[in-house]
Amino acid sequence: MAALKEKRTCGQRCEDFGHFVWNSENGTLMGRTPEKWVYISLYYVAFYVVMTSLFSLAIWVLMYTLSPYAPDYQDRLTSPGVMVWPNTYGEEDVEISYNTSDKASWMGMSNILHEFLEPYNDTMQLQCNPHNCTKGKYFIQNTYSAPKHTKWVCPFTQSMLGACSGLEDPTFGYNCTMPCVIIKMNRIINFLPTNSSSSPPYVNCTVLSGQNNVDKIEYFPNNGTMDPSYFPYYGNLAQPTYVNPLVAVRFSLVGEKQAKIQCRVVSEKISYENIHDPYEGKVLFYLKAVK
Amino acid sequence: MSKKESYDMFEMDGDLDKKKKKKQKKKEKLEGMKREMDIDDHEITIEELEARYNTSVTKGLTSAFAAQVLERDGPNELKPPKGTPEYVKFARQLAGGLQCLMWVAAVICSIAFGIEFARGNLGSFDNLYLAITLIAVVVVTGCFGYYQEFKSTNIIASFKNLVPQQAMVIRDGQKNQINAYQLVVGDLVEIKGGDRVPADIRIITGQSCKVDNSSLTGESEPQTRNAECTHENPLETRNIAFFSTTCLEGVATGVIINTGDRTIIGRIASLASGVGNEKTPIAIEIEHFVDIIAGLAIFFGFTFFVVAMFIGYAFLEAMIFFMAIVVAYVPEGLLATVTVCLSLTAKRLARKNCVVKNLEAVETLGSTSVICSDKTGTLTQNRMTVAHLWFDNQIHAADTTEDQSGQSFDQSSETWRSLARVASLCNRATFRPDQDGVPIPKRLVVGDASETALLKFTELTVGNVMDYRNRFKKVTEVPFNSTNKFQLSIHELEDPLDLRYLLVMKGAPERIMERCSTILIKGQELPLDDQWKEAFQTAYMDLGGLGERVLGFCHLYLNEKEFPRGYQFDADEMNFTTSELCFAGLISMIDPPRATVPDAVMKCRTAGIRVVMVTGDHPITARAIAANVGIISEGSETVEDIAQRKRIPVEQVNKSEARACVISGGQLKDMSSDELDEALRNHPEMVFARTSPQQKLIIVESCQRLGSIVAVTGDGVNDSPALKKADIGVAMGIAGSDAAKNAADMILLDDNFASIVTGVEQGRLIFDNLKKSIAYTLTKNIPELTPYLIYITVSVPLPLGCITILFIELATDIFPSVSLAYEKAESDIMHLKPRNPRRDRLVNEALAVYSYFQIGAIQSFAGFTDYFTAMAQEGWFPLLCVGLRSQWEDVHLQDLQDSYGQEWTYSQRLYQEYTCYTVFFVSIEICQISDVLIRKTRRLSVFQQGFFRNRVLVTAIVFQLCLGNLLCYCPGMPNIFNFMPIRVQWWFVPLPYGILIFVYDEIRKLGVRRHPGSWWDQELYY
Repeated sequence: MAALKEKRTCGQRCEDFGHFVWNSENGTLMGRTPEKWVYISLYYVAFYVVMTSLFSLAIWVLMYTLSPYAPDYQDRLTSPGVMVWPNTYGEEDVEISYNTSDKASWMGMSNILHEFLEPYNDTMQLQCNPHNCTKGKYFIQNTYSAPKHTKWVCPFTQSMLGACSGLEDPTFGYNCTMPCVIIKMNRIINFLPTNSSSSPPYVNCTVLSGQNNVDKIEYFPNNGTMDPSYFPYYGNLAQPTYVNPLVAVRFSLVGEKQAKIQCRVVSEKISYENIHDPYEGKVLFYLKAVK
Repeated sequence: MSKKESYDMFEMDGDLDKKKKKKQKKKEKLEGMKREMDIDDHEITIEELEARYNTSVTKGLTSAFAAQVLERDGPNELKPPKGTPEYVKFARQLAGGLQCLMWVAAVICSIAFGIEFARGNLGSFDNLYLAITLIAVVVVTGCFGYYQEFKSTNIIASFKNLVPQQAMVIRDGQKNQINAYQLVVGDLVEIKGGDRVPADIRIITGQSCKVDNSSLTGESEPQTRNAECTHENPLETRNIAFFSTTCLEGVATGVIINTGDRTIIGRIASLASGVGNEKTPIAIEIEHFVDIIAGLAIFFGFTFFVVAMFIGYAFLEAMIFFMAIVVAYVPEGLLATVTVCLSLTAKRLARKNCVVKNLEAVETLGSTSVICSDKTGTLTQNRMTVAHLWFDNQIHAADTTEDQSGQSFDQSSETWRSLARVASLCNRATFRPDQDGVPIPKRLVVGDASETALLKFTELTVGNVMDYRNRFKKVTEVPFNSTNKFQLSIHELEDPLDLRYLLVMKGAPERIMERCSTILIKGQELPLDDQWKEAFQTAYMDLGGLGERVLGFCHLYLNEKEFPRGYQFDADEMNFTTSELCFAGLISMIDPPRATVPDAVMKCRTAGIRVVMVTGDHPITARAIAANVGIISEGSETVEDIAQRKRIPVEQVNKSEARACVISGGQLKDMSSDELDEALRNHPEMVFARTSPQQKLIIVESCQRLGSIVAVTGDGVNDSPALKKADIGVAMGIAGSDAAKNAADMILLDDNFASIVTGVEQGRLIFDNLKKSIAYTLTKNIPELTPYLIYITVSVPLPLGCITILFIELATDIFPSVSLAYEKAESDIMHLKPRNPRRDRLVNEALAVYSYFQIGAIQSFAGFTDYFTAMAQEGWFPLLCVGLRSQWEDVHLQDLQDSYGQEWTYSQRLYQEYTCYTVFFVSIEICQISDVLIRKTRRLSVFQQGFFRNRVLVTAIVFQLCLGNLLCYCPGMPNIFNFMPIRVQWWFVPLPYGILIFVYDEIRKLGVRRHPGSWWDQELYY
């Protein structure tokens, strides 16, 4: 073994490496003759072609078995998430803070809402969702009765948000101390928020801290109700024009004009106590107005 | 050993050390050593000696002065070699090749974590966990290795003789028995037969004192010691007895001239620790392997760094990718696997009487290509035994087996009865008392080796010898001495009516023959004519040629008239007839080979291992034993044999014709190292006789120069440099000295050569099995790495998380990879040549490429299939996943739409990602089960090897599945270890790929078996 552990100089090592790269004795390049390189490359090309086709086949079979309308499993979507707009974040939480005297600041907020409400434009909604829904009960459709083999969608228009629709007050109250926020619940295919007999889900906001700074909380539509006719959702293939029902909430800020607020969609089938998902069934945000 | 030679040897030791500084220090030490060697205590007169040590050769030291000297010089004992401090031993466990790789990875992880942290990305603690785990793995396996080493060190420590040696000392004119460690320079001590010499002693008076210097010089012939200075060299002169040698017979008194570490033995022992330890082959292999891994990791990392930069990631992000890839390439579980495999084998070996001190030595044994073995005690039984008898003009073979299971000879002849009587009576050896229950060959005897052999032989054949001797009352005797070379005794006869005396005599055959005039043939006394003399000569030569020690026996009934009852026999004057005797026969003795050795040597031969005998014995004896055990095979000739056969001078013989070669120490001294290399190359069957242990080192080095991996056995203190120099030093557990055991890597508890062969077999097996384990462990590196690569390049949600990878590496896959160590050999590994350390690497290109780019690739495809299945069935189609990464990972996005238009919060997506991790994990597990099955064999079909023969492996697979299920379905797992309870059918998605792996590998093996040497074999056999 003495030969194995001989100390070799760098020059020798380089020479060895050079020999490895091109060995003129055996005519080998990096340990193989060019001919063998061709063979081994061809072998690997063939190997990977076969493997890739097998993989493609597997994926194709997978896609073939999937339904285009609804996923096989909804293991993670047992309860919908809830989010608030304007969705501006601070360090970690949603923080809606603006300066009433700084136009750029409050314009930022109102622009987010305008942008958010674009799909809810009255004319557009009435045009693409021209269905008259029966309010107050689930709109269950077992057939694809709408045109192009789809299902009907109940329109939700901007104007249903009343004072917070941005139609009368394009600033959504951000130029004063009565800001509107919009609460949206995530859509889940075939999800019914309540048992059919009980009352429809509604949004309820509570002030967690700074109770004295919030004078009044108003909900649009009335009582913050989400009408059952928007449920269930049938997926974007069956209902390409579906829009989530919204609830706008207007806060009248007084005093220090800041508060920590939690808005929850109240319904027996929507859980809100999952500590690992703070956005499940509720949303928590800071509201702060500066003059 | 001449003075010159020993100096050469010490200088050589110095040269071994490469480091300059050390060398210098060593040189100084050696210089000092040389000066000290020049003692002249043996040359000066007794008066000068008394003056020098302030002592008296009659009264000894005074107790007070002795106490002072003891204070000054310290106790008379060898300081244990300055063992490596425990913390250094532990640190060494943490600094191997793989360990270093893991340290680097841990540092990189910490840096990556630091960068992430500085950027305010608090979400990802993965890198920190990874760093901690890496460090933990290194430390835990380090502790494990350290514990193993510690345990075997303890076994070795338990050998040490705990009973303190006693010495008879004369102080203040009084004889005292004191502990040997209290002796000081100048003490007057008395030694007698059976004692160990307590220090270096200048002999003052001696009566037929003989010492066995074999532990010092390897020479097993007893050497006479007396007051006379015969040589200027202290090692050669007769009036110095050395520390730790044994006094065989006689008595002597002497003055202590050196104690403790200053004795010759002490100096040699301390030198042995200076010979550098060689790197073990497995350490070299692992380094080579780490080179490959590190090279590949950096290559991959760099490639994807460039790719990431090209795609448009920020530099810092690309840097983190680079680090992550490098770290992902580190096989975390491999270290544990290797350590556990080696210690399992070490345990198995310990049951077969081989204690391994250093775990890596297990594998070294397997790559051994030359074994330099001692003769005495290792190949032989280390006890003289009667082997042949010659009487009635016929050579009879005696039973030499250890357990007396062999055939005995015809004992009906009258001559035999006479011969047995002579052998029984003319013998001074006696059994130690109270040994009735002990089988005769194992009984302890007082007397020298030949007499012991004869006593045991007669006890076995005749029966109760002590009683027999009592019946023939001894009248007088003349003990053996070197001038007349015979021993005789005169006895009264058993029959009280027969008043003749019987004279019995034994001794060197030619001397006995001279004194005989008649010879006993079939009970008849015939005149000893030339014909009988020639027959005697032939028999004597034959027995001598077998390397046996031959003794002649004769007797005579003394004339009743000349020597009536009551005649005063005088042993000194020899006033009785000592010629015209009647020759009874010859008995020859040898230290016979152990019963298992010929088989073991044969095994070595078939395994392509050369067995070289290195012994201190006489060349003829050495050769005879070598031929007996098969080291020199039947029909092999030495140069001298050929010369004799062809009747030409030795110089004219073509050396390559001679397979065998016997070189004596004297010849070896005159050979240059090139000549020795040449001899070793030319003659496959080598015996070195009359060598000193120092020359053993030269032989070992020569073998190593020829590229062999050398195992050396040894027991003496002087063997320790050779033991250290050897790739694997094997010390004898029973006969070995502590110094030898300290220097060795392995200890044979039963001193049996056959145990080494068992060790070789185990070593080869573990090499093969380690190869399989490593192949198994490496494979999953690719399916662990590709998710990350795809994540970077195609921006899909991360398919496999870092904690999950750690679970694969360190939990589920450990047991299966270890279970491969229990795999039986595919073919008879003892029929293959030893591996060529330069060509047959542990991890070769074929193994890495096949594992990584074929099996690993299939596993990756399996993982991705399962991943996309889980994603698609939950609502995320494959095409949507591509490029989804930035939105998917956006903590602030709570309504990301899937392919069906459903909206997901960040947490919901995160748990979906965990589901993917779990699904990918399950895929790797399923494929790894298939992988462990295919790794059972490299060439044979698994069906030939048997699916369930390796029970441990089956258990391991079951264990792996159970653990996988536990991780998936135990409540709380999602938030602790990111495992989700996945749907049962996702376990079966990778199954076709597992079957594909199995079928593909069976096809590969079929091709390898059917077309050996073909392109397929070259490229795909690892």
